Amino acid sequence: MWRIEAHLIHRNPNPRIIISTMDGSILESIGVEIIGVMSPVSICMLLVVLLVYSLTSFNSPSVEPIRTAANLVYLEAPSDSTSQKIEGSLLNALVFVILIAAVTFLLVVLYYYNFTNFLKNYMRFSAFFVLGAMGGSIMLSIVRQFSIPVDAITCFILLFNFTVVGVISVFAEGIPIPIVLRQVYMVALGIIMAAWFTNLPEWTTWTLLVALAVYDLVAVLAPGGPLKILVELASSRDDELPALVYEARPTVSRGSRRGGLGLLVGGVSSDDVEVEMSRRNGTGSGSGSGSGSGDGELVEMMDEETSPLVPNARDGAFSVSVGGSDQFRQAEIVEDEGERTPLGAILGMGGEMEPQSRGGDVREEMTRGIKLGLGDFVFYSVLVGRAAMYDLMTVYACYLAIISGLGCTLILLSVFRHALPALPISIALGIIFYFLTRVLMEPFVVDLVH
Amino acid sequence: MTLAAGIGYVLLALGPSLALFVTLISTKPFLILVLLSSTLLWLISLIVLSGFWKAFLPIKTSAWWPYVILILTSVVFQEGLRLVLWRGYKKMEDMLDAFADRVAKPRLYLTDKMQIALAGGLGHGVAHAVFFCLSLLTPSFGPATLYVDKCSYAPFFLISAIISLAFVTIHTFSMVIAFNGYAQGNKSDQLIVPAIHIIAGTLTLVNLASSGCIVGIPLLYIVALSTLAYCGKMVWRRLTETQIRLTPQNQ
Repeated sequence: MWRIEAHLIHRNPNPRIIISTMDGSILESIGVEIIGVMSPVSICMLLVVLLVYSLTSFNSPSVEPIRTAANLVYLEAPSDSTSQKIEGSLLNALVFVILIAAVTFLLVVLYYYNFTNFLKNYMRFSAFFVLGAMGGSIMLSIVRQFSIPVDAITCFILLFNFTVVGVISVFAEGIPIPIVLRQVYMVALGIIMAAWFTNLPEWTTWTLLVALAVYDLVAVLAPGGPLKILVELASSRDDELPALVYEARPTVSRGSRRGGLGLLVGGVSSDDVEVEMSRRNGTGSGSGSGSGSGDGELVEMMDEETSPLVPNARDGAFSVSVGGSDQFRQAEIVEDEGERTPLGAILGMGGEMEPQSRGGDVREEMTRGIKLGLGDFVFYSVLVGRAAMYDLMTVYACYLAIISGLGCTLILLSVFRHALPALPISIALGIIFYFLTRVLMEPFVVDLVH
Repeated sequence: MTLAAGIGYVLLALGPSLALFVTLISTKPFLILVLLSSTLLWLISLIVLSGFWKAFLPIKTSAWWPYVILILTSVVFQEGLRLVLWRGYKKMEDMLDAFADRVAKPRLYLTDKMQIALAGGLGHGVAHAVFFCLSLLTPSFGPATLYVDKCSYAPFFLISAIISLAFVTIHTFSMVIAFNGYAQGNKSDQLIVPAIHIIAGTLTLVNLASSGCIVGIPLLYIVALSTLAYCGKMVWRRLTETQIRLTPQNQ
């Protein structure tokens, strides 16, 4: 947790950061966006690993495999032969992907015909189900595992409160929910789903991950892919995606929210950006300099520091968004504005980045930050959680691989300015590193030390 | 109780790095990225090395020379890696300076460069600690501890934690020394780093002898502390030099 704390301190536009932007180095302003996405992913993976450790290591290994949508066809048994396992797991993965594709198409159709309210309520229901039922069962097993003395009524009330707040915060319309709470719940949803998926048998997990990565690639990039359609629809309607997404940056509810909490996220807090842009657009800084971030000069300075590694809000306005399966969605990264990023500029691929030359819809675009789909959280964590069942070394290797894959995806995003799937690179790297570590490195290291 | 001991071992090995991370690195996102990429690079190097050595392992003989060759190749490979890292860093520095110019911010200070080197070194050190100590510590959370015949004075986990603390220190600060040496073209700084690395690596071989750890670990710590002292002296020298050079300009 210390990482995010440090993070929050850094991002809080308190006098300290203003001082440091005055005479500090550029080191502090670069990569804020990447870290803003990476740290929740890291926290999610860390918690899943801890959960997997604490729930499996002391337990008797005879956990009966659960039957979910992911292993409809074939239930893996340790006694089966390898070819049987491969065949069965392939079938499982195929069925699961087909299911997801079907659900996503249904979502797209519903969204196309403007059943937005239905979708949102469905999303709330699924959040309720995940938090309440699955989270509850995980909570129960934790209580049992550590023999926490707690009575049923307390337990129920706690769970109910947790769930209700979660459901409200998933799609908060008109309620000023702090963005931090929303982010916490997104991570919690990811953790619960991932912990559930780690119960899948080993072979099925691997084939499933590969199949999902491929599906993600197709659904986001191929013409006519469901997620591509969904994202294009959403951006053409200038609407929020009807999906569970993690936002690394607060959605600015135009001028209404001036609290301190919403400013904790984002190196250049959106308020500052908005203040700055509204001055540039000649609409006056009527929205006020929020968050006590000092006078206009400082705001301008903060606004200037777009990071060269990943686009900031004003020149990226991209969102990692998701489309759906049941409760979690495949992710893709969307950049819905054609502004060159500093990285592109540095690499010589981009041209000028002049925000002044842009039209009036800038503010609309700015309200979107980096969004990462819940599906990413889930499947990254599934991979790491599966690695945690083998060894700590594989966990660490997989973590590094996934994080670097995510970094690569973000950098690619800033180059291509196009909807990108976030799963394939990370999952591929993660799986490669898992098996390399397991096959090559472990014997080497263990032999070396003993 | 063993859980507490396990956490203790982890903190013993990684506590100083954790302190460095929290105080210096975590406040600057870019340094976190440097740390992660250097860790990844180290991991890749370990995988490549283990792929290469897999053909010869496990070593059946009780002779010590295969280990010497193994350590030598590893050190050579990793020092080569340091050069690669330096090349990459050089490119990155130009990019950062160009970017700083464009957004009208000061270029990288000397301390910034040193911090980048520190983050890179810390990445190496942490990776080393994680793969050679932490991954072995997993059983220590369980209900028992382990003693090794050749060094029966302390639990195996404690010894590996102590050794890995020394290596974290060496890796972290030798990167600062090396980067500074490359930047200034200072041959002695450039050469001392591989020397330290080889000495530290071969010193661990002393542990193979019976009761060797009584001698080996203090020697290792002497190396680690002298690395630290050397690095501190060098940084102090550089800082005072720039101070002197800056002062007339300011007046």
